[in-house]
Amino acid sequence: MANDPDIVISVKGLTKSYGNFEAVRGIDFEVRRGEVLALLGPNGAGKTTTVEILEGFHDRDSGEVSVLGADPSHRDRGLRAKIGIVLQACAVDPFLTVTEAITQRAGLYSNPRPVGEVVDLVGLEAKRRARIKTLSGGQQRRLDLGLALVGDPELIFLDEPTTGFDPSARRESWDLVRGLCAEGRTVVLTTHYMDEAQALANSVTVIVAGKVVASGPPDTLGGRDRGETTVRFTLPSGVTVDDLPTPLGICPRVRHHAVEFSLPDATTFLHDLTGWAVARGEALEHLTVKRPSLEDVYLSLTGGVDELDELDELEELEELEELEE
Amino acid sequence: MNDLLIAKDQLRYEQKAYWRNPVAAVFTFMFPVVFLLVVGTGAGSGKVANSSLRDNQYLVVSMLVFGLISACYTNLGVTLCIRRDSGVLKRIRGTPISIGSYVGGIIGSVVINVALITLLVVGIGMAGYDLHFPYHLTAAVITLLVGVLTFCALGLAVTAIVPNGEAAPAVINGTFFPVVFISGVFYPINNESVLSQIATFFPVRHLVKGLVGAFENGPGSGLQVRDILIMLIWAVGALVFGLRKFRWEPRHR
Repeated sequence: MANDPDIVISVKGLTKSYGNFEAVRGIDFEVRRGEVLALLGPNGAGKTTTVEILEGFHDRDSGEVSVLGADPSHRDRGLRAKIGIVLQACAVDPFLTVTEAITQRAGLYSNPRPVGEVVDLVGLEAKRRARIKTLSGGQQRRLDLGLALVGDPELIFLDEPTTGFDPSARRESWDLVRGLCAEGRTVVLTTHYMDEAQALANSVTVIVAGKVVASGPPDTLGGRDRGETTVRFTLPSGVTVDDLPTPLGICPRVRHHAVEFSLPDATTFLHDLTGWAVARGEALEHLTVKRPSLEDVYLSLTGGVDELDELDELEELEELEELEE
Repeated sequence: MNDLLIAKDQLRYEQKAYWRNPVAAVFTFMFPVVFLLVVGTGAGSGKVANSSLRDNQYLVVSMLVFGLISACYTNLGVTLCIRRDSGVLKRIRGTPISIGSYVGGIIGSVVINVALITLLVVGIGMAGYDLHFPYHLTAAVITLLVGVLTFCALGLAVTAIVPNGEAAPAVINGTFFPVVFISGVFYPINNESVLSQIATFFPVRHLVKGLVGAFENGPGSGLQVRDILIMLIWAVGALVFGLRKFRWEPRHR
C-alpha cells in the first residue's frame, strides 16, 4: 500500500512537540491523487503544524510521512518543484508587478505554465502591470494562488485560501480548485469555512488537540448521515403543542411560537403533520426540514475544546521553541 | 533551472525592487552626495593631520564608507527583516530555488549598489575636490570587497536581534549612527582621541582607515593589513552568529 502511486500523502503516527507542549499527538491520514482533503479544527489544534511538516518547513519528532513518495524533511528540491504552497499571508516583494512576480517564480521551475495563462486563471488580467502593493487583499490572495500554480504542481497546499474574498470571488476560486482536481492534481485545504469544505472536499479530517477526532467524506462525517432531522415551524394561532400529531416518544421543543421536532426519520411525521394541517385548514408558517450541517457536526466534534487564542498560543510555541534550542 | 541563471534573474528583480522603493535608495545614495556637496564645499582645503588628503578629499572617502555601510548593513538588514516578517523568506523556502541562488542574487544587487556609490562619490571627489584616482587601486578594491563582506555579514547578524520588521529601521539605524559618528565618517578624528580609541573596537573605523590608506599618496601597497584583518574577524564572527541564529519565519504572524 505504501508504494501505491495513487497515494499522494501518507501520514502515520505523526507527532511534534515544542518543549512540553505536544502540538501533534499521533496523527494518521492518507490523501489520494485528484482528491481534495480539508483539514478542519480549532485554532491551535495542530493543523498548521501538520501541514508545515508536510510542506517541509518543520521536522517531525516521530511517525512516517510520505509526500509524493518522498520524505519532506529532506527538503529535496525535486519534491519542492512538484508542490505549490499558498500560505496565509501574501508574501511577495510589494514593488514588483503581478506579471514580474509570476515570471520570476516561473523561472524557478523546469516546466512552468505560461505566465499569461496563470494571470488569466486567477483573474488578474486587468492588474497585469499593477504593483503588488496596490492590489486589494483579495487580489493579493489570488496572486498567491497564481504563484503556487505557475510551477504546474502535482500537489497544492491551500491555507485558508479564500479569507477576505467576496462571495462571487469565492465561487470562482472554488471552480478553480475543482478544475485543478479534474486535471488530476491533489489539494490539501485548511479552512474555517464549513461551506468551503462541503463544496470542495472529498474527504474531511477534523483535528482537535493534536489528534484526529473524525475523518471521512463531508456527507457522512461524524455520523452526519445518521443524525436526526429537525422539523421546525411556527405554531398556528389558537393551536397548542398538544394538538399536534406528535409521534410516540418524541418530545417537541417550543421556543416562543416556534416548534421544533428532532427525529431519526421525518418522512412519516411530515406526512402526518401536513395532513393534519391541510385537514384543519391551517398554514404551517416558516416550515423547514433540516439535516445536520457539516458545521453542526464540526461544532459537536470540537465542542468540549477550549479554543486557544491564536496569538497567545503562537507566543507560547515561540518560547517553547527557544527553550528547546 | 540553472542556478547561476536563477541567481542572475534574482539580481535583476532585486535591482528593480530596490530602485522602485525610494526610501532605501534616497538614504544610501542621496545622503553621501548631499553631505559631500554641502559640507565638503564648506570644509575648505586644510590638510588632515598626518595625511596627504585635504579635509574635503577625506570626506569623499568617508562618505564612500557611509554609502557602503548603508547599502550593505542598513539596506540588507532592513530588507531581510521585512521579508522575514511579511513571510517572503518562508515563501521562498517553499520553492525549489537554491539558497545560494537567492542569497547570490541579493548580494549581487548590493555589490552593484556599492559600485554605483563608489563611482558617484569618487567621481564627485575627482571632479570637485581634486581627489587623485586611488594611488593604490588594488588596495582600494580589496578594502572595498572586505568592507562589503563585513557589513553584509553584519546585516545578516543584526536580523537575529531585530524582533520584527517595524523595529528593523530603529534597531539598525540605532546601531549604525553612533558607531559611524565616533569612527570619523562625518569629520576627521584624531587617532589618539578617546572616541577614536572606542571606535577602534568597531569595524567602521578600520574601513575608513583602510580606504584612506588606499587613496593616500603613501609608500608601499597602501593596503592597511591590520585594518583588513580586524574587519575580517568581524566578518567571520558576524557570519557565524548570523547563520546560527538566522530565522526564516517571523516571531508572530
